[in-house]
Amino acid sequence: MPNTRSAPSRRSFLASTAVAAAAVGSAGPLLTACSSDGGSGDGGGPGRVSEKEAEQILPAYQASEFAVQPDIPGQSGSSPGYTSYIEVADLGVSVPEPLAGGTALSAMTPLWGTAPKKGNPYWTAMDEAIGTAMTWQIQDGNTYGDKLGAVLAGSDIPDLVCIPGWEYNKGQIPKAVEQRFADLGPYLSGDKVLKYPNLAAIPTAAWKASIFGGALRGLPMPQQVIGGVVPFYREDIFEQNGWTPPTSADEFLAFAKEITDAGSKRWACEDFKWSAWVYFGVLPEKPMCWREEGGKLVHRYETDAYLEALEWTRKLYEAGVVHPDAVAAAGDATARFTAGESLMMNTGSGVWHGTVSEQLTGGNPDFRMNAMDFFRHDGGDPVLYAGNGAGIWTFLSKDLPEEKILAALELANFCAAPYGTYENRLRDYGVEGTHYTVENGVPVRTPDGEAQAAQVTYGFIASPEVAIAHPDQPKVVEDKCAWEQRMMPFVQEPLFYGRQIQEPDHLANLSDPFEALEDDVVRGRKSLSDMQNAVAEWRRTGGDELRDWYQKLLDEETA
Amino acid sequence: MSQSTVPRPRPPRTPEEDGGGTAPPRTGRPAGDGPPPARRGRLLRRRDRRPGLPKDDPRLRGGVTLRHRFRRDWALIVMTMPVVLGLLIFAYIPIAGNVIAFYHFSPYNGEGFFDSLANSASAGTYYFERMWNDSYFRAALENTLVFSFLQLVLFFPIPIALALLINSFLHSKVRAWSQAVLYLPHFFSWVLVITVFQQIFGGAGLIAQAGRNAGFAEGFDLMTDPAFFKWLVTAQLIWKDAGWGIIVFLAALSAVNTELYESAAVDGAGRWRRMWHVTLPALRPVIALLLVLQVGNMLSVGMEQYLIQRTAVGPGASEVLDTYVWFVGIERGQFSYAAAVGIVKGIFSLCLVLAANRVAHAMGEAGVYKRS
Repeated sequence: MPNTRSAPSRRSFLASTAVAAAAVGSAGPLLTACSSDGGSGDGGGPGRVSEKEAEQILPAYQASEFAVQPDIPGQSGSSPGYTSYIEVADLGVSVPEPLAGGTALSAMTPLWGTAPKKGNPYWTAMDEAIGTAMTWQIQDGNTYGDKLGAVLAGSDIPDLVCIPGWEYNKGQIPKAVEQRFADLGPYLSGDKVLKYPNLAAIPTAAWKASIFGGALRGLPMPQQVIGGVVPFYREDIFEQNGWTPPTSADEFLAFAKEITDAGSKRWACEDFKWSAWVYFGVLPEKPMCWREEGGKLVHRYETDAYLEALEWTRKLYEAGVVHPDAVAAAGDATARFTAGESLMMNTGSGVWHGTVSEQLTGGNPDFRMNAMDFFRHDGGDPVLYAGNGAGIWTFLSKDLPEEKILAALELANFCAAPYGTYENRLRDYGVEGTHYTVENGVPVRTPDGEAQAAQVTYGFIASPEVAIAHPDQPKVVEDKCAWEQRMMPFVQEPLFYGRQIQEPDHLANLSDPFEALEDDVVRGRKSLSDMQNAVAEWRRTGGDELRDWYQKLLDEETA
Repeated sequence: MSQSTVPRPRPPRTPEEDGGGTAPPRTGRPAGDGPPPARRGRLLRRRDRRPGLPKDDPRLRGGVTLRHRFRRDWALIVMTMPVVLGLLIFAYIPIAGNVIAFYHFSPYNGEGFFDSLANSASAGTYYFERMWNDSYFRAALENTLVFSFLQLVLFFPIPIALALLINSFLHSKVRAWSQAVLYLPHFFSWVLVITVFQQIFGGAGLIAQAGRNAGFAEGFDLMTDPAFFKWLVTAQLIWKDAGWGIIVFLAALSAVNTELYESAAVDGAGRWRRMWHVTLPALRPVIALLLVLQVGNMLSVGMEQYLIQRTAVGPGASEVLDTYVWFVGIERGQFSYAAAVGIVKGIFSLCLVLAANRVAHAMGEAGVYKRS
């Protein structure tokens, strides 16, 4: 079904990424474009933590003793890849004993699919292995933010609540996080985390992005440094025609015109605005949207790069190389891409494996897709801005009694077991024989496995370090690892990288009209000067105030 | 239709006035629905004749005591109770929550609604002023009124015409079949309707591709043209809901006394004259009622339809009040502002209903409620 919320918005990318990533069982969704936004008291108030304070709050890091040597090791920060299947007998066991007592916990999580039935074998097996009795309150992922707002505004909230990063920065959710959820510092800070070895093996960057309102509140789902938006191309069709992916903005435009053949329903690309940000070096979204220029902070909207990226994207639209359904923001971009109606598209890297395996097993055996390298618009080296260490968190209600908090942390510890452990296999695939069978050395889900284990629930509670593990589609693992390895050298950390910042209430909604305005500009309904006027208005109605606010934050930090 | 539209014969004013005891139905509704008024009149009269009735008994003045009314209507009252209770709980009591429009309200200012409200600073009329000064709000209001007006002019007459058409089919199977075909689109979701439109009128749709293959000009695309959008949404609405709208009119038509047609035919009235002098007058009360309701709903043109097509044509062409409240109020968590917009919308809608109802009364129709 097409996304009811229209358009390739940031949210729809990330949502699709999260689902796919979690569903195929690789560690976490690989988000970058959005990740952390906002996150603590207003002003330079009590919610903010300095680097020093953060160090005291953060859990210690201790690598897992069960970590398996990856088939493709990570390079300069890229994710490790696993192409080979590990037999159940060879898996490590990181949680030897289930918790006694079967503590009852309720959890609210999003799902992009059909919720499994209560008491299904997968949930039962997980509960027995962990020692909990979970009650899942599963909500539709597409409208999760709306439910979240209502649930948190009420007085009776579930014991555990999952909040994806793209829902976090909306409205009063940051306030809600501070007000409704428990500080986990007393249980996890420093060496206390060593009681939970799998949580201790979560990278510090992920924990750092889990500090909300001056306290460690989130249980993180770690995410990759890059990969939130990846430009993909149809490798099979490109090879048939002897094409190679373009390497500069001008070349892209000329190439796109050449390969578009509307008469036979073939367009060069989907909406490419998100890749254009990278091509032209546009700063990421808030709070990492500032750059220092001559001792003064400059916002992403104020940069030439922002306008240039919009202008280039607009040229694509004008040239008629963007699929008309993408112009109308209708239907499903991935479906058009797999059908060969559009040959290039950008989306979250999390959908990669799911798309490929769906096509190959679903009667499209020649289907191949691959990621295009980012380029700078003039053909030089691109700049990729690093995303935060975690993009989805689960929080614990502050009303929980201590024994329930301890049980919830044990639950998280189980869920965060790394690739190569029995717990991780159980979490992602379920029980061998019931939920998956091993055919030709790769795990294949049974219908029960698809309906139960593939519908992510426990996966949202906490996740291990990112690993690209798809023994069934080794080519995807190789391509993905190779792309990351090629791109990692171009990664830079933006200002205010790595943690949560909450803007003052009255300025927090300032940039809201811009996404719609960008869409207006690239589709030719508004001009670049309209955009410039909007930026001038933005400055006047609070942008300059916001600049001062961030400047103060920066000064305090460097002082 | 609301319950109040059911014409209920008033108790006879005085025994004398209650001539033959056949109070004519007031709104052209067919006789035969509801309790026959004649009998009740007679009953009352018989009782009135009872000796020993005090002179100031209200029944003598033509009234019926509350007790008697209750005894007469208790079953009806019991039947409506659940609905009344539901309305009270889900519609009327929550109205009090609108008080947050005058505060800088956040549910996270305290524990529970009342504590939060007590901890929220007073905002006075800040949110109303902000609304008035917001160009996005005014654009949304303008769009809403334009869409509503087009719906009123283009959409409203179509179900009536369709009902007349279907009513003229004599073959019952053809009738049932064409009704089913016309109803069906109502059950499609907006996502589906818009997808169908995209597949036909979109830039890669049937028409565009046929045009390309025939060598006509490039660029046929009705779905992304902001100027055309108001016609597009009206067309979508007609396709989806016009068939559904005929139900009420068909019901009214089925109640027309066939003898009237026969007499008219005997008097030499042709097909068109019969429609003009028999059918349409029978539909008049229903048309007036629905028109009043439609006018009262002018500020609610729908939501999903506009939300889905927002990016295709841009918020400038597609933002309506409901989507505006959605984005500004719900998505961005500005509950107080959303409440302020809601209050203004509610009051404005109420005024529209009252005004439309007045017009209906002036035209001699019952409208939504009757003047007592």
